Amino acid sequence: MAHLLSFIDTRPQFEIANPSASSDPPAPSGPPAPPLLPQSIKAAPKTALVVANKSLVRLLRRCFEEEGYTIRIASNAEEGRRLYSDFAPFNVVIIEYDVLVRNGAQIDIFLPQTSGRELASDILKIDPLQGIVFAASAYRNRDDLLLPQELLHIPVMIDITIFQLRTLLSTLEVRRAMAALTIADKLRLKRAAESWFQVRGLTAHEGTADELLSEAQLKTLIGAKETQQGRHWNRDVDLVWHLSEAMRSISDSWRRQSETEEKHLRLELPTRDAEGHEQSPLKYLPSPEASAYRILIAKEKVARIFRMFTDDTEATQVLQGWYDDLKPNEIRQKCGLDENRFAAAVKRIRKKTMSRRNGSGGGEEHGI
Amino acid sequence: MAYRTSLDGQQRILDHLAESVFELSDEEILAEVRESGVDPQEEADRTSFVLRQAVDTWESENERLSNLGHTINPNGWRCVEGIYENHCLSCGSLVSFSTATQRMEGNALDGSCPENGYTTKKREASR
Repeated sequence: MAHLLSFIDTRPQFEIANPSASSDPPAPSGPPAPPLLPQSIKAAPKTALVVANKSLVRLLRRCFEEEGYTIRIASNAEEGRRLYSDFAPFNVVIIEYDVLVRNGAQIDIFLPQTSGRELASDILKIDPLQGIVFAASAYRNRDDLLLPQELLHIPVMIDITIFQLRTLLSTLEVRRAMAALTIADKLRLKRAAESWFQVRGLTAHEGTADELLSEAQLKTLIGAKETQQGRHWNRDVDLVWHLSEAMRSISDSWRRQSETEEKHLRLELPTRDAEGHEQSPLKYLPSPEASAYRILIAKEKVARIFRMFTDDTEATQVLQGWYDDLKPNEIRQKCGLDENRFAAAVKRIRKKTMSRRNGSGGGEEHGI
Repeated sequence: MAYRTSLDGQQRILDHLAESVFELSDEEILAEVRESGVDPQEEADRTSFVLRQAVDTWESENERLSNLGHTINPNGWRCVEGIYENHCLSCGSLVSFSTATQRMEGNALDGSCPENGYTTKKREASR
């Protein structure tokens, strides 16, 4: 019971596996004072299994503490297997490549050490998606490890630093969230990428919807939570929603960049008009307010969307509500729409304006 | 009150349209994809590929940097005119990463970290 309680406790805990004990997991040795939990892990405690010698554990412990992990520690592969089968899954498993097979086992230094990779293979047989990292400080590069094909995807830490581990942990967190995405999630992401691309009026010159998604993912990995300049992913937030918000901001930035480039191109145009009169390129410089031209285009575009729904009063009401910056409940209240009718109107708007097929025209005015 | 132009109104409508994908249920999004003549599984696989490729790139670029003995603070990235910049904590060399090229560049990638002697010797010994 003690070990069960320790597992559900959200505070970081430490357990040193005792090889001489029975197969029951031992109770945790006195937990250290709980560090302040980062905001990002409030929803679910993160867990790690470290299978390594004591000095490596000492090094890694600080990092895990700072990142709010609950860790379990085994000093040899045998104990690692036992802890894994008792407590899996873990957010991450760190395996020292040359870890002892079992306590007291002798190492023949003239033979290649395989205990770490055998443990990794065993774990992947139980859960092929388990995030694993090899720690291999005794090696010069990852090629020296002679990893078999099925383990080549596992990241290797040669120079073991807290910073490198932190990068690997956050990358594994993203991989883990990706593995949990359903088909519908992935389709939603794809559609979100296409939608942001479309509504910003982007073209192949600026990129593609896939590139937009890829950039959102990379910015998530870069993180930069302290600077607020990356797209730090708060794990309390659904990854799909997070990536969509990232794409919203990136697509906006692409649009602005494209507009700036356009203005620069205009400045490079000949400075004489068709009649040969000198023109100042300064007239093309951006004004502090949105230009009258852009406003006119915007008006036409909005009018076009409204025209698509001349026969659909409820859709028109929703569009007007959006245009007036009303919240969904305000729109519903103002127009007397219940939740279902409101949702149905939104779906009709989406279908007519955003559907891939509708963009092709076909006589009726479709697409934006 | 902030002055609002039609541009704001247009943008709000377009933003709501882009977000409307999140108002579809799982069945509805699957149906929408099928209606457009695309196989949902293929489309989902394609999305997975894009996401995975970005993670693989990020991981391999970090490994390339680490193989040179450089250490960066993962929370130390700063965005400078669209390019992310960081510095090696040991030697101070610049590391930059552009999401457009998906590559790490900068002085740090020109050679081994001069301050990380042990690592550098290990690497050189392997050549």
